[in-house]
Amino acid sequence: MDIHQQRVAREHRRGLVSAALLNAAFVFYAGLLALFLRDGSFAQAPAATYAALLGAAALVGGLWTSARTSTGRMIVERTNPVLKAAATARERHWLRSVSGLATCLVGALTLIVAWRVTDTSLRELLSRNGLNGAKRIFLAILSPDWSILPLVIEETLVTIFMALQATLIAVPIAFVMSFPAARNVMRATHIGRLVYVASRLLFNFVRSIEALVWAIIFSVWVGIGPFAGMLALMVHSVASLVKLFSEQVENVEHGPIEAIEATGAGRLQVIWFAIVPQVVLPYLSFTIYRWDINVRMATIIGLVGGGGIGKLLIQYQGLAKWHAVGTIVIVIAVVVWLMDWLSSRLREAIY
Amino acid sequence: MPDPLLSVHDLHKVYDNGTHAVRGVTFDVEPGEFLAIIGLSGSGKSSLLRCINRLVEPTSGRVAMHGADVTHVRGAELRALRRSIGMVFQHFNLVPRHSVLSNVLTGSLGRTSTFASMTGRYSAEDQARALECLRLVGLEGKAGQRATSLSGGQQQRVAIARSLLQDPDLLLADEPVASLDPATSHSVMQHLERINKELGKTIVCNLHFLSLVRQYATRVIALKAGEVVFRGGAKDIDAARFREIYGEDAIEVSID
Repeated sequence: MDIHQQRVAREHRRGLVSAALLNAAFVFYAGLLALFLRDGSFAQAPAATYAALLGAAALVGGLWTSARTSTGRMIVERTNPVLKAAATARERHWLRSVSGLATCLVGALTLIVAWRVTDTSLRELLSRNGLNGAKRIFLAILSPDWSILPLVIEETLVTIFMALQATLIAVPIAFVMSFPAARNVMRATHIGRLVYVASRLLFNFVRSIEALVWAIIFSVWVGIGPFAGMLALMVHSVASLVKLFSEQVENVEHGPIEAIEATGAGRLQVIWFAIVPQVVLPYLSFTIYRWDINVRMATIIGLVGGGGIGKLLIQYQGLAKWHAVGTIVIVIAVVVWLMDWLSSRLREAIY
Repeated sequence: MPDPLLSVHDLHKVYDNGTHAVRGVTFDVEPGEFLAIIGLSGSGKSSLLRCINRLVEPTSGRVAMHGADVTHVRGAELRALRRSIGMVFQHFNLVPRHSVLSNVLTGSLGRTSTFASMTGRYSAEDQARALECLRLVGLEGKAGQRATSLSGGQQQRVAIARSLLQDPDLLLADEPVASLDPATSHSVMQHLERINKELGKTIVCNLHFLSLVRQYATRVIALKAGEVVFRGGAKDIDAARFREIYGEDAIEVSID
């Protein structure tokens, strides 16, 4: 057997495991769908039913993997470059048509279930009462109360500075932390791998808590106001930037790293001379992009105690002063649009 | 008899994926030699070179410099070993976005403190020597240019200058001309030859083309599937030997 065949065989063996997992997931999903369609909600069935479903999914999914119609195997065979290259034209054609059909089926089933889960109702969307309410609020927003404009602008400035400060503090922290969070930098030693896994876990956890939730936490910690909002944006920005930055670090060319290592340079020198020059431009681009996102987030973070323009919005909304809400919505739209434009211009200029 | 400059004994390298790249290679290099290592792609040449300066960890065997075992040195000792061995790569591996001079100066990282190097404060001696090294490879006029904006041959000469600034006892070259055109190849090889003959630097060089080997090397080792299948003078490789190293169907192409 030549090396290529060995590789194909190896990839096949590896692929079977992921295919079995995928199949089990599909069976489990199908079972969930069936349960939901029967009961109308997930709450009705007892926990034992779900456990049984899980077991059945593992069994059926595992057995299904050996079949030619196995969805998991189809996905693995279409996405693994080695297996994809090894497939004959006929196999490819068959894979394409069958997996296309399977995709349509899954999509249609999901739509049907989602329709029930979200209580979708065209009747309410188009009811006379509802349409009248919509008309009222749109008219109010489109005839804004310009007398509060000075206050709105003041709070908008606070909001923009919140976003700027959060970004400026987050970038240096994320820059430093992106290296321990990159696999290629840390894989050399056991301690390094441990640090890598720990920092990845930490930042993934921090990132999966939305900035809005961080704002709630910090408004309890430091009190309601722009400071809490800034902290929330900053923490979330650090976690997101570490992910984006460390992915850049993992994608750098290995050549310069070898060359700098070969000069007898230390670890920090290798990072500074071989990796940093390869990632500065993407880092800068991500920073601007993050600032853009932060401005956007800062406008709504006030809704939950983060200060700035969002606080004003929620106050007027509570008083049902829809003309004032209109003013704020328009100003936010203009600011976000401007920042979006500015940020894309700046990012174009970098490359 | 004094110890050889470099001594490799029964070296093996098995990668994590099971590839047995180097199988029991043994050879010595005396000061002032220009040793060429030839063989097909995948014959283990690159792994062998990287085992010497430990960009790749050898699985078993022994590497000694000046008679001192360096196979398993770590930390500061490993950095000292690497400092004494310059290396030139097939794809040049210059630092992108940095100037030519700044790239050459990275050759002195091994003896510059981390903080000083990161703030660009190299010693006056290193700065003067960096310019001197650039002059040696004929690129003194390009010092301020961005390194990756140069042509392939020029980039390789910058890489040679970088390794020279290390003031190495030994220079490793991993297919230094494999991504260059024939004319440029000769220019780069001539620079290596001058460094070998005029500066007396010992060179171990992986090469593809036998014509280059015959012209520049003083001695040859041929690898096949990780094992040494030939050792001797460059001119001793005749047609039969060639087929033995490169396979029955191989035809020698030359580069003039």
